[in-house]
Amino acid sequence: MLAHLMKYKELMYFLVHKELKVRYRNSLFGFFWTLLEPLGLMVIYTLVFGYIIDLNKGIDPYPLYVLAGLIPWTFFNNSIRKGTKALSGNASLIKKVYFPREIFPLTMLISNLVNFIPAFTLVFIMAVAYGKTIQWDYLAMLPGVILLQALFTLALALLVSVLNVYYRDVEFIVNLVMRAWMYLCPIIYPISILYEEKSSELVQQFADLYFLNPMAVMISMYHGVFFADQGLPDKFGIPGFWLIYTVILTLILFLAAWYLFRRMNRRVGEVI
Amino acid sequence: MEAIVVNNLTKYFRKAYDKTLKGFFISLVKGEKRYKEFTALNGVSFQVNKGESYAIIGKNGAGKSTLFKVLSGIIQPDSGEVKIEGKVAPLIELGAGLSRDLTGAENIRLNCAIFGLDKKQIAEAYPKIVEFSELDEFINTPVKFYSSGMKARLGFSIAIHIDADIILIDEVLAVGDKDFKQKCYTKMEELRNSGKTLVIVSHSLKPLRRICDRALILEKGRVVDVGDINEMIDKYQDEKKKKKKKKGA
Repeated sequence: MLAHLMKYKELMYFLVHKELKVRYRNSLFGFFWTLLEPLGLMVIYTLVFGYIIDLNKGIDPYPLYVLAGLIPWTFFNNSIRKGTKALSGNASLIKKVYFPREIFPLTMLISNLVNFIPAFTLVFIMAVAYGKTIQWDYLAMLPGVILLQALFTLALALLVSVLNVYYRDVEFIVNLVMRAWMYLCPIIYPISILYEEKSSELVQQFADLYFLNPMAVMISMYHGVFFADQGLPDKFGIPGFWLIYTVILTLILFLAAWYLFRRMNRRVGEVI
Repeated sequence: MEAIVVNNLTKYFRKAYDKTLKGFFISLVKGEKRYKEFTALNGVSFQVNKGESYAIIGKNGAGKSTLFKVLSGIIQPDSGEVKIEGKVAPLIELGAGLSRDLTGAENIRLNCAIFGLDKKQIAEAYPKIVEFSELDEFINTPVKFYSSGMKARLGFSIAIHIDADIILIDEVLAVGDKDFKQKCYTKMEELRNSGKTLVIVSHSLKPLRRICDRALILEKGRVVDVGDINEMIDKYQDEKKKKKKKKGA
């Protein structure tokens, strides 16, 4: 599969380059929007959820916590949303000439990854500014986590991109699901909030299943780099078992997505 | 040696009644068929030899374009087999969708990359493409501002310069001015003489006599006849006349 795609290295390079160029075309700050956007969101979330609603349960500093979760989430979110239209948005090209169509979701992922990496260094800068100590064991695992997240994202992107060719409803469903999904991840609140005594029984039952959501596992791994000294996230059953679960789930999902993409790809040329 | 072997090729199109997820579930519950089938190609068989120029003629809706798309790999047949020996380059229309906002130069790079050329090969082909297309001064203009003749020129130039073994040409040649058309025909003859295989789908029959060796007549998804180009064109035109007379009477 990889050898086959390597033949199209030049095409992928071109498409990634174009995607990055188009995204910031006619904008004054250009590439800095990759950094400004999550920073802006960080400020908003800190004000709304940190001060007004007070979801800040002893996490210090809360803005760093938000940013460390928000940037990996933005990577996931953008890749899936754009990935949904990766095929349907290129209909005119797909109708005219054949080349491996998985290149479209793949280049979408790569261009988002290119945005994500520099954006994430911002978290490190902020951590240093706050005088946080970086947890080296989590940092060592970080490349693995990023790779895992990329694979998981690619699997979902493949799936939604091809489904959206057949049913445009997928676009709307994806938008809604991604919104809900964000609140199912520890981005604006710490996981400990679920275990509080005042939480309802339903919430506490749900808490035990919380890490069934692979994104919650992965975002917690990012948090670990900066917050492991505050007992995050180990206290609530990460890593270990849930980490292995996430790896296995990602692999299965990827194989299934690959198979389905191949299968559904056959009629893409005529339904698109 | 055959460049293309097509055996008993059949293609159905599904005409969906309702292309929404809601429609899908409703018909799933009702247990009714979700689409109407339409046979676009029905048991088509033919061979194209290496170094041959081959024409596919037929009326609108005969299945020419479907056949063209199957040959270029855009759609897959439902049954039968298509064996292709060598690299195929379809002559594609430029200027739609993704490529619209790109400049001529970017389009050349994109299309070369689509056909699997690497950086070095693209660098080699690029000046030749620009030269042949005669678009030197507009090469950095976005393709959306090109006239249809300019697009056709660029498309043709790309298709013939990516060093494919088999070149598929759809009716794009209808556009472009007389001089450029003449240049294309000359180039096509040149390509044929250099051992490339050409498959041409066309309405305009006159130039085919000059370029092609053999032809296939397609009607309602079936092969009517295969043979020498001049015989086939005469036969096709005779039939057309007969039908017109019938209508007249």
